[in-house]
Amino acid sequence: MSDLAFLSIAAAAQRLRTGELSPVAYTEALLDRIQRLDARFNAFIRSTPDLALAAARQAERDIAAGNWRGPLHGIPFGLKDIIDWSGLPTTAHSKLLVDNIARDDAVVSARLKAAGAIMMGKLSTHEFAIGGPSFDLPWPPAINPWGGRHFPGGSSSGSGVALAAGMLPAALGTDTGGSVRNPASLCAIVGMKPTYGLVSRRGVFPLANSLDHVGPMTRTVRDNALLLQVLAGYDGEDPGSAEVAIPDYAAGLEAGVKGLRIGLVRHFYAQDCDADPEQIAALDQAAEVLRSLGARVHEVRLAPLEQYATATRIIIRCEAFAIHRSWLATRPEDYGDLARQRILDGAAMSAADYIDALRLRARLTRQTLAAFADINVGLTASNMDPTCPIDDAEACARLYPRQARQPFNITGQPALAMPAGFTRDGLPLSLQLIGHPFQEAMVYRVAEAYERATAWTERHPPGL
Amino acid sequence: MSKAELAQIAAAAGLPRLGDKHLDQLQMAVTSARELAQKLPKDLHWSEELSLTFRLPRPTSPAPHSEANSEGHAKTKGTP
Repeated sequence: MSDLAFLSIAAAAQRLRTGELSPVAYTEALLDRIQRLDARFNAFIRSTPDLALAAARQAERDIAAGNWRGPLHGIPFGLKDIIDWSGLPTTAHSKLLVDNIARDDAVVSARLKAAGAIMMGKLSTHEFAIGGPSFDLPWPPAINPWGGRHFPGGSSSGSGVALAAGMLPAALGTDTGGSVRNPASLCAIVGMKPTYGLVSRRGVFPLANSLDHVGPMTRTVRDNALLLQVLAGYDGEDPGSAEVAIPDYAAGLEAGVKGLRIGLVRHFYAQDCDADPEQIAALDQAAEVLRSLGARVHEVRLAPLEQYATATRIIIRCEAFAIHRSWLATRPEDYGDLARQRILDGAAMSAADYIDALRLRARLTRQTLAAFADINVGLTASNMDPTCPIDDAEACARLYPRQARQPFNITGQPALAMPAGFTRDGLPLSLQLIGHPFQEAMVYRVAEAYERATAWTERHPPGL
Repeated sequence: MSKAELAQIAAAAGLPRLGDKHLDQLQMAVTSARELAQKLPKDLHWSEELSLTFRLPRPTSPAPHSEANSEGHAKTKGTP
């Protein structure tokens, strides 16, 4: 079973295509694992075995008839429960939406369906992708399979946990201030926030429209590229969608990093925010690994981290409050405490502050892209610390803002988080790679080279 | 800040049903909003353009009708 539990999408796709692996057997094996493990990890709000088995049988028939649709055909996946799947509730992990049945598929759901992927269920999140980890909601928070009872990051927590525990090989998350990359960092998986506009957000419950992204989450870099390939594309009904050509993201994965210019944004984690020493060492070591592979690594200076955080926090507060104001007016008691606090924060901001935050965003974007002019890819921290016990609310609250992901929600650049080692206690450490807008392929190329050199993504939680 | 003042802020924000506990949260929101606004750079100028996502479609090239578009608009029923 562990063979199937931690099988990569790329390896599974080969076996599914040749008939060596049956989509039904693969799906049944993972459903069985979800059944056995999820009471411990709470990755799922709702698993959908009937839906999954029906899709798996269809995939089996199609592949046997010679109609293989591509690398996602027959591959099980899960959706963060703010993403619509027609006929299923989209709860946003909130009492407010327990009975909210989606009428249509989100665009990303439709794309996965068309690719022949197998929908396995809806995954835990922080309430409305902002309030968590919380214990006062209709479902418990997801628990990290790394460590005893640790915080998995968020808000795409169930997505990170299901991947790390070998319950799924693919999941979707969303990222407004880092919510794909935070669980990727704390659960030792790979999470990509693509360029703003590359992946449609239609049918996804918004947190802050101007910063919201949907992103692929997987256990390996190659798998992430394969998943993004299915998700990326123009959507004329998403006002943020970009009309750009979609390259083959897996084509250049093995090109290596020799001669590439990597900009190390060291001041983010060594000066602006005093990261954990083991995390600093892991990042400096990652720079050395890339150097040893032939990349030219030099330090790059961006604006202080706090400026990006200020703009992000004001924009999220204001946009989220505007979305939730009518529910806060009529059903304030139905929110969990954390989500209510974070959304109420927007009630106290002024319109002028919001406009100034948008002005600051434009300035930071200009400055950041200018600093990237001489480099191919940026390297910096994702999280500043390893994870903490989930029952320690103060520790979780301290952990949350100590990060360097928000700058790239502000600029919209593609940013990928992946494992960069483990602490002496066996908890995941991480790094973040950042590209030029719409150059996800270059980010994947550097990530793949680092992954091959270190093999951190081959480690799985002890006992699983 | 008194409960009455907080209730006034809540009412101005269109939130008439906040209870005592929620008003305590609003108090924290007010404090935090002031701190956050103080962190905005002081040299932001009206001549600096905002970052906006809204833009009109180009009149000469209609948006291509992608496969995903044909799936229809996936609206969440409960969205306020």
